[in-house]
Amino acid sequence: MTSGYGRFALARAGQAAVVVLLAYVLTFLVISVLPGDAITNSLRDPQSGLSEADIQRIVQYYGLDQPVLVQLALSLGRFLTGELGFSLQSNLPVAQIVGDALPSTLTLASTALAIAVVFAIGIAYGAHYAPPRWAGVLRSIPSFFLSVPNFVIGLVLIELFAFRLHAFTTTDPNSATATLFAAVTLAIPVSAPLAEVLIASLDHESRQEYALVARSRGLAETQLFARHLVKPSALPSVAMVALIMGELLGGSVITETIFGRDGIGTVVQKAVTGEDQPVLQAVVSLSAVVFVAVNLAADLLTPLLDPRVNVREEANA
Amino acid sequence: MTPIEFRRRVFLAGITAITGSAVLTACGGPAATSSADAGTPVDGGNITFLIQGYDTGWVSSKTSISSYEGNLWGQITDKLVYVDDKGQLSPWVAESWEELNGAKDFVLHLKDGVTFSDGTPLDAAAVVANLNAWAKGAPDRGVSKVGLFPSSNFVSAEAADAKTVKVSFSSPALGFIATLAYHGCILLSPKTLALPVDAQADLAQEIGSGPFVLKSWKQGDSYVLEKRKDYNWGPAALGHTGPARLDTITYKVIKDTSVRTSTVASGQAEVAFNVEPQEIDTLKAQGFTVGTPKYLGFVDGFQVNTQAFPTNDPSVRQAIQHGIDREEIRSTVYTEDWDAATTFIQGNVPEAGDYSSAFAFDADKAKKLLDDAGWKPGPDGFRVKDGKVLEFPLTPNPYVPSTKAEDELIAQQLERIGIKVNLKVVDVAGYAAIQASRPPLFQTSRSFVDVGTVAGVLTSQNNGENWFNLGTSDQKLNDLSTAIASASDRESRKKVAGDLQQYVLEQGYFIPLNQLVQRLYLISPSVKGVQYNGLAYANFYTAWVAK
Repeated sequence: MTSGYGRFALARAGQAAVVVLLAYVLTFLVISVLPGDAITNSLRDPQSGLSEADIQRIVQYYGLDQPVLVQLALSLGRFLTGELGFSLQSNLPVAQIVGDALPSTLTLASTALAIAVVFAIGIAYGAHYAPPRWAGVLRSIPSFFLSVPNFVIGLVLIELFAFRLHAFTTTDPNSATATLFAAVTLAIPVSAPLAEVLIASLDHESRQEYALVARSRGLAETQLFARHLVKPSALPSVAMVALIMGELLGGSVITETIFGRDGIGTVVQKAVTGEDQPVLQAVVSLSAVVFVAVNLAADLLTPLLDPRVNVREEANA
Repeated sequence: MTPIEFRRRVFLAGITAITGSAVLTACGGPAATSSADAGTPVDGGNITFLIQGYDTGWVSSKTSISSYEGNLWGQITDKLVYVDDKGQLSPWVAESWEELNGAKDFVLHLKDGVTFSDGTPLDAAAVVANLNAWAKGAPDRGVSKVGLFPSSNFVSAEAADAKTVKVSFSSPALGFIATLAYHGCILLSPKTLALPVDAQADLAQEIGSGPFVLKSWKQGDSYVLEKRKDYNWGPAALGHTGPARLDTITYKVIKDTSVRTSTVASGQAEVAFNVEPQEIDTLKAQGFTVGTPKYLGFVDGFQVNTQAFPTNDPSVRQAIQHGIDREEIRSTVYTEDWDAATTFIQGNVPEAGDYSSAFAFDADKAKKLLDDAGWKPGPDGFRVKDGKVLEFPLTPNPYVPSTKAEDELIAQQLERIGIKVNLKVVDVAGYAAIQASRPPLFQTSRSFVDVGTVAGVLTSQNNGENWFNLGTSDQKLNDLSTAIASASDRESRKKVAGDLQQYVLEQGYFIPLNQLVQRLYLISPSVKGVQYNGLAYANFYTAWVAK
């Protein structure tokens, strides 16, 4: 068992490293295909009045005139030694740019996740126990949440709570209240799939025999829900949360734009439009590392938790 | 415009309309009494300035000319010469200057007692360091020169004494003094200029001598400037001495245009940069000030590639010139704050003349020009000659707000005379590629302080930018640009500049649209005394907040 598990762990860790490297190389190549480069594009602003020769001298300084594969090798070499370099757009250290944006994103994402979970549990509980007419309405809420665009929710919330009720100011987006409303904006679409999964598993679990037995023993529905149904119903939702985390970290760009927050989503968006290789590489690699690490942890834990997963077969697969 | 973006815009317009009317009712007060700057200025007060992005960092050679970063640079740095919105030059850090030897040699006399915010003197040595940086840059450190600085004939700058700088050129440089007022030519401490490019990106390292200094910042998010209490060397032309009146200016990034507008409209901030032109009239009616300064430079319009199909045919160029209804553009896309063009340079450039008859709208004339040249209407209404349809691609200039709506209208107007226009909308990155591909019409935006700049773009002489792809094939154009570039007195140059404008427009080398407004400022009624320089940046040195 031990040696089998060791080989399994090693194989999985190796696969994870390959995935991160592939993400790095692919991003690099995709950006290289786009027309121009970060330096040329900014210096070619019709305002600048620089000649092609002037521009070429600066492009040379950054080594952007070299063949793509040479650039990739240099960049990969730096990455492997842990050097993230400087942004081509702003010339600031990439580590600083990502470091500045990360806290705002983490605050927003974790608040949004908490709100989304509360929403989802509320909707699922209501869909299950409310009078049939209301339960029907509640069951359609997830699809409604999914179909309303993010920016509509954001703008309506800002209009209502910032400009009419003065609950927060748009010029201070990192205040607790402003963060709360930004998180609600983000949580609404995110809570939808979570609620759907919860509703489905609640439906499933409540039809199980153990639930029937509990009911026949005279257990109240609320107690049945809290003591017996929540735990098994939550299992698929927990898997869902892992997926949602990715959406929260990367998909927050619209919410960030509307609420004037500077987060990872905004950093990525700016890096893509500016063809800012070093910044984009860093964020993509970081996301890949996080994603792979989470999945690796799950993979490594599963055989320890669930004896039905056969490690040796997995390792040979 | 993608359908999603379009729907989004329609939605935003709706939201803004609701907001607008709500604010109008909320304010309730006497609307449109805009007694602009009446009252006695008071000291103190803070303003928040909303802007859509600070993405390109703080390397001065790269961002001092940016519409966004340039706003902040203007508050923390000074220049040697001031240029007002009429193109008039006046002393600033240079107290006076002499032009000698047929504009080949210059002597600058500096103001006494000017210091950078770290206490070091802004003396002749510092000015020499700046002049060298503007003229040459430092390509080995990744620092570019200033595009419009007369570098090709720049010989040297030296400090004669602590307050006197001598500058020499190998040929007449009539534009030199004017260029000192250009937003690319901001004065920075020699210490800052000596830094490698990546260190210059740190705004805290940017030591200027302006009326405001950096207090705190978070890149891409917010920047707080506070007044410098010992500042006493502002341009006399602004009519104010001593330190700035405002205590602080906070630049805050809010990307979304409708949120920026609504935030100022609801009183949560004082200034918003670049609002939608369509909203100007409503906002003005609510008592807000909307600054639409025009910079000195070229008007909004197209450089014509004379070698590409179909603009290699002079009659096609003429037909486009007369087939565009600029009044309709002004009345539908813009407001009356936009001025009609009278030539291809902005009306406030002292050398600008009135050549509007050379590009007056006349659809019948345009059609006749095409008929006579053999372009006959084809089966689908578009003209055809030798089996080729009269069509070309057109890309709106992403550096100027609302050019997309403008070019959509132009496409419709040209369709009426039988020309097919294929709109291709790209972002800033894509626009560089468009420029490199040399399309038939390339929409440009370029400010300058001296009309001599024009000589550097027309042909390929002296490393010129060759805007019309003529190379040196048009002898008359060669002669006219040489005459402007080598002129040593302003009167004769003005005459040549007039001939040049007439010739370029008649040949259809440049197709002007309207005078360009690249920067719009929405300002709360409580903020008074904002002034605009010749580069169309708002200057908050004289601004104050009414109590």
